[in-house]
Amino acid sequence: MADQLKPGSGPLDYGNRLWLKILFGVIFFMLYVPIITLVAFSFNTDRRGIVWRGFTFDNYVKAWNNSALIEAMVNSLMIAFITTIIATVLGAMVALMLWRFRFPFKGAYEAFMGLPIVIPEICMGVALLLFFNETGMMGAIVALPWPLNLSNIIIAHVAFCFPFVAIVVRSRLVGFNRQLEEASKDLGASEWQTFWKVIVPFMMPGLVAGALLAFTLSLDDFVITFFTSGPETVTFPVKVYSLVRRGVSPEINAASTVLIVITVVATVLAMKLQAPQKSGKG
Amino acid sequence: MTTFHPKFSPSRRTLLKGTGAMFAGLTLLPRFSLAAEEKKLNFYNWDTYIGETTLADFTKATGIEAKLDLFADNDELFAKLKGGNPGYDVIVPTNDMLERMIKANMVIPLDHSKIPNMANIDKPFQDATFDPGRKHSIPYMWGTLGVGYRKSKVEGGLVDSWKIVLDSDTHAGRISLLGDAQNVIGVALKYLGHSFNSVEAAELKKAEDLLIAQKKHVKVFADDNGQDLLASGEVDVCQEWNGDIIQVMAEDEGIAYAVPTEGSLVWQDTMAIPTGAPHPENAHAFLNFVLDAEAGMHIADTIKYATANAAAKAVMDKSYTENPSIFPPAEIVAKCEPGLYLGEEATKVRDEIWTRIQAA
Amino acid sequence: MPSPFLLASIQGSQEQGESGRVLDNWKDNKNVFWTLAGPGTFWLLVFFILPLGFLFVMSFSDKAVIDGEISITEYDYLTGISNYIRSVDALYLTIIWKSIWVSALATVLCLLTAYPIAFGICFASERWKPLLLLLVVLPFWINLLIRTYALIAVFRSQGYVNLALGTVGLGPFDMLYNNFAVIFGLVYVYMPFMVLPLYATIERLDKSFLEASLDLGASQFTTFLKVTVPLTMPGIITGVILVFIPCLGSFLTPDLLGGANAIMIGNVIERQFKAANDWPFGAALSFMLMYATFAALMLRAFLAKRSAGVDV
Repeated sequence: MADQLKPGSGPLDYGNRLWLKILFGVIFFMLYVPIITLVAFSFNTDRRGIVWRGFTFDNYVKAWNNSALIEAMVNSLMIAFITTIIATVLGAMVALMLWRFRFPFKGAYEAFMGLPIVIPEICMGVALLLFFNETGMMGAIVALPWPLNLSNIIIAHVAFCFPFVAIVVRSRLVGFNRQLEEASKDLGASEWQTFWKVIVPFMMPGLVAGALLAFTLSLDDFVITFFTSGPETVTFPVKVYSLVRRGVSPEINAASTVLIVITVVATVLAMKLQAPQKSGKG
Repeated sequence: MTTFHPKFSPSRRTLLKGTGAMFAGLTLLPRFSLAAEEKKLNFYNWDTYIGETTLADFTKATGIEAKLDLFADNDELFAKLKGGNPGYDVIVPTNDMLERMIKANMVIPLDHSKIPNMANIDKPFQDATFDPGRKHSIPYMWGTLGVGYRKSKVEGGLVDSWKIVLDSDTHAGRISLLGDAQNVIGVALKYLGHSFNSVEAAELKKAEDLLIAQKKHVKVFADDNGQDLLASGEVDVCQEWNGDIIQVMAEDEGIAYAVPTEGSLVWQDTMAIPTGAPHPENAHAFLNFVLDAEAGMHIADTIKYATANAAAKAVMDKSYTENPSIFPPAEIVAKCEPGLYLGEEATKVRDEIWTRIQAA
Repeated sequence: MPSPFLLASIQGSQEQGESGRVLDNWKDNKNVFWTLAGPGTFWLLVFFILPLGFLFVMSFSDKAVIDGEISITEYDYLTGISNYIRSVDALYLTIIWKSIWVSALATVLCLLTAYPIAFGICFASERWKPLLLLLVVLPFWINLLIRTYALIAVFRSQGYVNLALGTVGLGPFDMLYNNFAVIFGLVYVYMPFMVLPLYATIERLDKSFLEASLDLGASQFTTFLKVTVPLTMPGIITGVILVFIPCLGSFLTPDLLGGANAIMIGNVIERQFKAANDWPFGAALSFMLMYATFAALMLRAFLAKRSAGVDV
């Protein structure tokens, strides 16, 4: 790979080409200017966030004291957390099944797994609303105590998240050398031991990747959440959508900044955890 | 508990109900088995559309814990409740949406004996064409639809006609209109001298032609952020709700609001109890609380819309009661019409007109 | 290699790799098969396909007429295909066509921007790779609406870009509320969906092919066109699909960044479920969009099969 060549010398050492660096700079600048603005304006004293009036931490204090906002963030994180666990387990199992077995109509089954990825969100939201109402699940679940009243949102989120996990994990499994599995069995390990000691460690990067993806999708979803939520389950995106239509407040910027920091810290930790798992092939 | 009655084949339906019963059984819900109502209330409202301490004050006064959930517009409220009420006790629909919900049995009749404070309602609002005898709703806030503008950018610093946004190129590219069929087509009809609620094909056609011709001068059909566009200098004139413009007027003296002389829409937000509300007793108590003089004053003081609560208005100071942007002069209100629910067919016709205008 | 997170490895298994390995027959180990397949399949059937079935039935239904009036909440089920007939009206076809070209343009721009990024990341030093990947994905983790509003703050006529241009005597330019803004917004929103699959393919690219090509006297440009692009085609196709499909159904970006004629089919669909209260028609339009998507996916499968012969 690139580091086998001497820096700045090889024809393939694109990483050191000036034009590529400039292009990188320009594109990252475009990607980040709005986000830097957002973070900067969370420290602004102007209510409407149109002009810069002065530096303050008030917005953070206000966001912290806004119990509805905090509650929405806690709900969102809780939903994303539980969704991630269930979606990762389900997705990994489906991926293992698709990787290991051949069975009739496998192609059709894969298309079926891909459906949640290709469907317009509002369509899925309304479909789930109809479903929850028709089966009486809506009324039953929203009456439960927290966090059980988040169940229908979580059910919906898992449904659209786990196929993404399955795809990611499965493409990781493609690189698996099955001789390892056979060797393990030859050495007397049971099916279960082999799975736990050989396959799971190999899958780990895919699992982490899939889990992060599920977490992200769940955390940002508005449309499906709106249609499946009950009266006591406002999430962060639902709160943002209702607030922002009446003008973005710096408080929301502050809350978003906090969320960015939380997600970045979580990712860096996840990447650190992932690092020892580096095996020969990715 | 659902008001939605699909006619799926019986076997499938039974299956679905079976699944539902299974889930419901698992949860052993206590909700319907309690004799007395638990001390809870689920309030479904627009964001920043209640007094800052109102819910806490209500809890203090009655011991009922009030929870707030939010919707961004009437259509969201309707779509959410259409298939069945997931547990809301009080909702805040605008008059035409309330009318539609009454027709669809989505709100329950009120027990007036439990709302003695209905006596505080301002005279003109004690009855309503969209809810005869106030059987289903109490009035909350009211206001108008008009033109928000930057004084320095319009001739004479005054706007008195819809012409400036609907039929003129003096502000080409500096105009924003609302982003929904009902209100844009409605004011176009009004400008042409017809009723805001017209269902006459010929009149609607004229409105459509007017809007298609004007479209090239319109910068954007803004959902509900015309006031931001105006405040940030993106547009000079915009069609907006009075309350939204009043908010930015407080921060920018160069902005003004006017209801054109051709007349406009006068809207009224109401509070009602949706069918299937788990705590109807508490909901009545809440409606009564909102109509209380002091609570009403706190609300009006926070959100600065025109209150329909006469007792509250009486204790507000003049900067509020005599503000013509909040309480427009009677002769202007007289020219305005309330929006009516026109039926599903008319809604579809207007939606198609709207699609044609946007695609033109 | 730092194992790619998120969609990084989304591309892959379908096109290649499995031919070399003999799969177990499901009958040989039914217990394991059902344990693995059961929960996921159940979840998808009950909480996705079944709900979607309601909507599918809805798309062939009409609002009920009760006492001569069209009902607000009741439906007559399975009355026919009137909604589909309405959806192929010239009015809606025009909007669908417009949505297609806006999405296509956004996808192409996305590809042109994302390719160098993915390429650069793959050839960056091992230490920088994870950081660069994180930087690409980070914007993706901020609420879509907040991100879009931030874009507006930057690009409006008195926004920062115009302020900056103003200091050197240029502008102000109207950069928002037109089709350009919509396309730019879509590129901005869906960038990670393009970068990650591209990254996954380029990362797997055997660099010796490039060296060989260069050694044989081909210029960098020719090598790129004749070797790199064909070898990374599966990633390009996956990225194109992952960007194009969500663009086609998007309604928020055209709503907030578009001008007076920015309507896309996603807006029409959204309105049917909300303001217009015409769920059957909204359902029919959604299924039309899905059929189109499936056609595109089948095309992709077909192309993948055809290129499998030349593939690595």
